[in-house]
Amino acid sequence: MSLAAEAFVSQMAAAEPWPENATLYQPLREHQILLSDCASSLAVQAYLRMCNLPVRVSCRANAEYMSPSGKVPFIHVGNQVVSELGPIVQFTKAKGHSLSDGLDDVQRAEMKAYMELVNNMLLTAELYIQWCDDTTSSEISRPRYSSPYSWPLNHILAYQKQWEVRRKMNAIGWAGKSLEQVYEDVSQCCQALSQRLGTQPYFFNKQPTELDALVFGHLFTILTTRLTSDELSEKIKSYSNLLSFCRRIEQTYFEEQDRDSQSGASHHSKGPSLI
Amino acid sequence: MAAPMELYCWRGDHGLPSVDVDCLTVLAYAKFAGAPLKVHKITNPWRSPTGILPALKTREEGSFSQPSKIIIQLRKQKYNADYDLSAKEGADTLAFVSLLEEKLLPALIYTQWVDAKNYVDATRRWYAENIPFPLNFLLPNRMHGRQLERLRLVRGDPALEPGEQLEKELYQDALECMTLLSQRLGSHKFFFGDSPSSLDAYVFGHLAPILKIKLPNNKLQQHINSLESLRQFCNNILVLYFPSESRELPTRKVSPQAEGGDFDNEPHKRRNQILSVLFAVGAMLGYAVLSGIITIKHTHAQLEEPHIEEEEDEEEEE
Repeated sequence: MSLAAEAFVSQMAAAEPWPENATLYQPLREHQILLSDCASSLAVQAYLRMCNLPVRVSCRANAEYMSPSGKVPFIHVGNQVVSELGPIVQFTKAKGHSLSDGLDDVQRAEMKAYMELVNNMLLTAELYIQWCDDTTSSEISRPRYSSPYSWPLNHILAYQKQWEVRRKMNAIGWAGKSLEQVYEDVSQCCQALSQRLGTQPYFFNKQPTELDALVFGHLFTILTTRLTSDELSEKIKSYSNLLSFCRRIEQTYFEEQDRDSQSGASHHSKGPSLI
Repeated sequence: MAAPMELYCWRGDHGLPSVDVDCLTVLAYAKFAGAPLKVHKITNPWRSPTGILPALKTREEGSFSQPSKIIIQLRKQKYNADYDLSAKEGADTLAFVSLLEEKLLPALIYTQWVDAKNYVDATRRWYAENIPFPLNFLLPNRMHGRQLERLRLVRGDPALEPGEQLEKELYQDALECMTLLSQRLGSHKFFFGDSPSSLDAYVFGHLAPILKIKLPNNKLQQHINSLESLRQFCNNILVLYFPSESRELPTRKVSPQAEGGDFDNEPHKRRNQILSVLFAVGAMLGYAVLSGIITIKHTHAQLEEPHIEEEEDEEEEE
C-alpha cells in the first residue's frame, strides 16, 4: 500500500471497531490452494485468533485476482481490503489490537528479523519446491493451480505462473540451487527457529506474537500437506520443540475455539491434524 | 594451509575497499577470519573466473561467486569468524541477514541504480569511467536493466516504474531496518561481543556504501548519519581492518566534487585539443594542395616556361 493510502486507512481503521462480518478470502481449499498460499493464509488466521478477532474464511477461485496486491490471503473488514500478514498486522494495530506491544526494542528487532528469515528462506523454499521442481510442478502445482479453469486457459495460466516464479528465483540467485540444497536451507532455517524457541512456550516467552503465527502457519502446513516426497516434513519433525510448538498453538487457538463456534468453516480440513 | 586463494573484486573508491555490496561483505569477512587471500581489484567483470564479481578462485575446487558460497568455502578451509558464536547467535545471524536482504537491499539497489538522478550523475558515471573500453558503453546499461528487473521481480510487480511512491515505500522499509539494526547493536563494538563475525561483515557490506558514497539524492545517507552507533560501527571497521583505504579518502574527495574541473580528470585534455586542431588543419591543407585548389609556385621556373604558368593560372581560376 502506498504511504498516503496507508495513513488514510489507518485513520479510517482507528475510527471503527472490528465488525462481526470480517471475511478472509483464500483460494479453494480442496482443489486449488497451494502450499505457500495455504501457509500464508493459516498464518493470518492464527494471528487473528491470537488477537481474539473473529473472521469468516471464504474460499474463492479468483481470490488471487481480487486481492489488492495480487497475493493471498486478504481480509475484507468494514469497507477496507488489506492483504498479506505485514499490512494486516499494521491494520489491526491501528484498531488497537497488537500482540507485540510488550516487547522492548531489541526484542522487536529480533522479531522482525526472524519474520524476514521465515519469508526469505521458508517461503522461498516452498515456492521453489512447488514451481521449480519439475515433478512437483507437473504432478501437483500446475493441475491444482489451474483446476477452476477450462481449456486452454488452465494451461496458459499455470505456465505463466510457473514462468514468473522461475524468473524470480533466477533474480534472487536460487535458480542454481539443487533440491537437496533447498532442503538443506530449510533445515538450517528450522534449526535457527528451534534454537531461538528453545524450551519456551512461545518465541517471546509467555505471550504469542505475530512471529509465532507466521512460524505456525508455515510449519503446520508443511507438516500436514502431502507432496511428492516426505523429505520436507521429515526435516521439521526432527526438531521436537517445533513440533510441540505447533501442537500447542493448534490446541489453544484452533480446537478450543472451534468447539465453541458452530461453523466448521475455519477448521482446516486439508490434511490430518497433528494429534 | 593450501595454496593461497584468489579473490576478484570491484575496485574501491570514496574511502572504501570496494564499491560493490557483495565484494565489501566478502572482503570484510576475509579480514575478520584472517584468511590469506590474494586480492585482485579489477574493473572488468569479464576477467573474473565466473564472469561476475566477487569471485573466489581456489586451486582444487574451482570458483565461486555469491557471498554466501564464498563464506562457506572459506569456512571449509578453516577460516571461520563465527567459531565463538553460540547456537542462538548463529540463529540470530541468519535472521538479521534475511532482514538486510529483504528490507535494506531493495532500497540500496533503488538508490544507486534506479533513481534517475543518482544513476546518471553518480553510478553510471563511475562505472563508465572505470570500466575499460569498449565495455564501458555496454555494461553500465546492462547492469541497470538487470537491477531494475530484479527489483520488479522481488516486488512482484512487473510494471514497476521508478517514482516517488515506490521510493517512499522502499526507503521507509530501509530506514526502519537501519533503526532496528542500530537498536540491536546498541553501544557494543560488534554485534556479538568483542570480535567481529559474519553478521558484522554483511552489515558492513550493506551500510558502508550508504555511508560513504556521495549521491545527489541521499536520504539514506542522511538517516544513517543520524544513527551514531551504526556510523561508529562502519568507521571502526574501516579504520581497524582497511587502514590503507581510509587514509586515501582526503585526496580522492576533491575530484568527484569539482564540477568545472574537467581538466583535473583529464590532464592531457588541452594537449589533445591542440593536437586534434592541428591535425584537422593539416589534413585540410594537404587535401587542398593535392587536389589543386592551392598550388605552390616555384619562382625559379618562371623565366624558362612562361606558358605553363598561364595554364596554371587558368587552373587556379577554376
